[in-house]
Amino acid sequence: MRHKNRIVDHKTAFAKNYDVVIVGSGISGSIIAKELSKKGYDILILEAGPGKDLTLSGYEKYLNNFYSAVSKDNNAPYKRNPNAPMPRSVDVKKLESGKPNTDSYLVQNGPFISDFTYSRVVGGTTMHFESKTPRMLPEDFNILTRYGRGLDWPLKYEELMPYYRKAEFEMGVSGDVSSQTFSNEKAYEDGYVFPMQEMPPSYLDQCVAKKVNGTKINIAGEIRSLKIRTFPQGRNGIPNEDYKKFNNGELFRPVGAVSQHQAEEGERCQGNNNCTPICPVQAKYDARKTLAQALESGCVDILTRTVASRVVIDPVTQKVSAIVCKSYKDLDSKEYTSETITAKLFVLAANAVENARLMLASGLNSSSDLMGRNLMDHPYLLTWGLLPEIAGTTRGTICTSGISDIRNGDFRTEQAAFAVDIHNDGWGWATGSPTTNLEDIVDNKNKFGKDLRNELVHQISKQLLLANMVEMMPDPCNRITVNPKYVDQLGNPRPIVTMQIPEYTMKGIAYARQMSRQIFQRLGAEDYSVYGTDDYGYVKYKGEGYAIRGGNHLAGTHIMGTDATNSVVDAKQKSWDHSNLYLVGAGSMPTIGTSNTTLTLAALCFKSVDAILEDLKHLHSSKQISNQL
Amino acid sequence: MVLHKYLLIMKTHHEKLSVFLDLSVVLTAFSAYQLHGTGQLEAYYTTIVDIIGDQTMSEILVAFNTAKTEASSDQKQLEQQIRIHLLSNDKLGPITRNIIKMWFIGSWYQLPNIWREAYGKSEKDQTFVVSSIAYTEGLLWPTIDSHPPGAKAPGYGTWANPPKISEV
Repeated sequence: MRHKNRIVDHKTAFAKNYDVVIVGSGISGSIIAKELSKKGYDILILEAGPGKDLTLSGYEKYLNNFYSAVSKDNNAPYKRNPNAPMPRSVDVKKLESGKPNTDSYLVQNGPFISDFTYSRVVGGTTMHFESKTPRMLPEDFNILTRYGRGLDWPLKYEELMPYYRKAEFEMGVSGDVSSQTFSNEKAYEDGYVFPMQEMPPSYLDQCVAKKVNGTKINIAGEIRSLKIRTFPQGRNGIPNEDYKKFNNGELFRPVGAVSQHQAEEGERCQGNNNCTPICPVQAKYDARKTLAQALESGCVDILTRTVASRVVIDPVTQKVSAIVCKSYKDLDSKEYTSETITAKLFVLAANAVENARLMLASGLNSSSDLMGRNLMDHPYLLTWGLLPEIAGTTRGTICTSGISDIRNGDFRTEQAAFAVDIHNDGWGWATGSPTTNLEDIVDNKNKFGKDLRNELVHQISKQLLLANMVEMMPDPCNRITVNPKYVDQLGNPRPIVTMQIPEYTMKGIAYARQMSRQIFQRLGAEDYSVYGTDDYGYVKYKGEGYAIRGGNHLAGTHIMGTDATNSVVDAKQKSWDHSNLYLVGAGSMPTIGTSNTTLTLAALCFKSVDAILEDLKHLHSSKQISNQL
Repeated sequence: MVLHKYLLIMKTHHEKLSVFLDLSVVLTAFSAYQLHGTGQLEAYYTTIVDIIGDQTMSEILVAFNTAKTEASSDQKQLEQQIRIHLLSNDKLGPITRNIIKMWFIGSWYQLPNIWREAYGKSEKDQTFVVSSIAYTEGLLWPTIDSHPPGAKAPGYGTWANPPKISEV
């Protein structure tokens, strides 16, 4: 899709009076900017990244970086940026007892060492997310009342339903509503369908489904039957005719590649098997698609290479009066200027870790002292096996189907719920396959020529990796903090992570391991899952060891609640302490259930837009009154 | 001296490249036609020479020619002779395995430490992807009837069909 270039220089930005300043151009910031711009408000987005990616050629440079990178991790497409560093899984190492890991951007206290990442570039972490878009379940919103675990939300699922629909439109969701039946409550309006038809299940999915469907499992005394179902995903497919009635009679129009010029790209997924870290054709939703529409409005400016450094509070009104930011010259330069930007209203949309980091760096722990606390993520347990038949592994999107039958149930009083992905890309996440297979076959198995080729097929095309994404509840001890001892090149404090996997989650992980064993038995698959004690994510529980991976679904750090004593923000994501400040994103979520967080945080941002518009109306009318006086 | 004799025969770059291609066919079990089709022959050859030097590359090509001569057109024998003259050779073995990996994945792997201690540490001997095109031209992907992740996608919905893979 075409858009205007609204990247502004510093002189222009600091001379202008903006209604709203938004920190971060990821999905939260982009949705809010786009929606507010429709009402003509002047908006400035501060973006820490270099911002060369709003053109097709800029995006293709990312792709080329990925092709030629030795390590193809989530942030491989982006050059290292010491002025706005980001966590990379390749930097993670095992904790040595008695001292934190301080070598890379994230300072990790442990005891659990996570390899979670996020991206500090235009579009934020949607640039590398997989774009799986399941809704949370109605039961997730009052899990404390229902199952005695976690926290209840200050809002009901029904209140979020219309916003979920907006988010599904915005992200261009492909999926099948009729397969989303794991809640005992009404989760969708009658007849509702997603904007686009479900992504066809991969051949691998079909091989697994043939033997696994109908498997009976016993989960804390409940007998469940497993069924392989597709996941909804923010990826362009075939528009659904039946969606017309939810879209003013119009067929959904997929949003293509972001470009300043006409570009025929990104209209439909081609099966590049590379949703993470980068979709080469932009068929996957990323926040630049929303941002481009915001920029097109003419009301939204974006200031890149600018890192929000401190939030300034007016001591009398307790409102945010300004944000101090540091603008760096370029990636390789230590040169920067410090400037102060003012506005009527401020939105922090920098992600759960960075929002909390910025507030804590500003000395704003919140009156509840909950800023940075309740850090959550989805711990992943990977299990992998070799199927008896060629299943065409490495084809399709990263994931088309999985198991969701264990996302909800009374067992949640005892142990964490989870969801299972079938990874179409095979064992890569767990073992570095297929590169590691090639290395092993050539260097250790001493094969070449035909034997090598046959062995590659045997070792790769039969791979099955199950990624078990396990629920994690809020715990105030799991947290982000800052310490002036640890700063980045611009002098901004780096996030310090303290995290432990709660027993509730470990029970879920242990159960997931057991369920994988049953599944592999049904499939006649050879189980190759091993978890080394030297793995940085190694956790021992009840005599068995597990290597746990980060899910990049960071949440909870500015948790939402019913009053200023139990939370940082209200149900509209507005700060209890500062009446012109919104902290948005998954950081506001009290629990995350078994849903990838992006769709829900997008829905929350659409909900916040209503509240922000209301606030701006008041701010404007009070300004007009004071002008008249 | 055998080495000297072959060096004289393979005078030109073109001739050496042609022996390198023959060797690559045996190592990968892909045809010369398919290897040419990747467009990477010259790039791989020059990348390797750049790291190990012309002299060592010549030793590899000579060793291959020796293996061929001794195998006298017998495929099984040729494979055995490749093991004798190249793959089990302490100097040429690691390079030969690197040639295989380069064809399949487009990367050069830093040679083992023991090799570097014995035969010299070239500054260029680092693990790296030869080029972004080399990555997308890896032979691993057609081997498993697939495509390099992030390139040469087969199109919407194709993933629902079984792959077509048979033993070679």
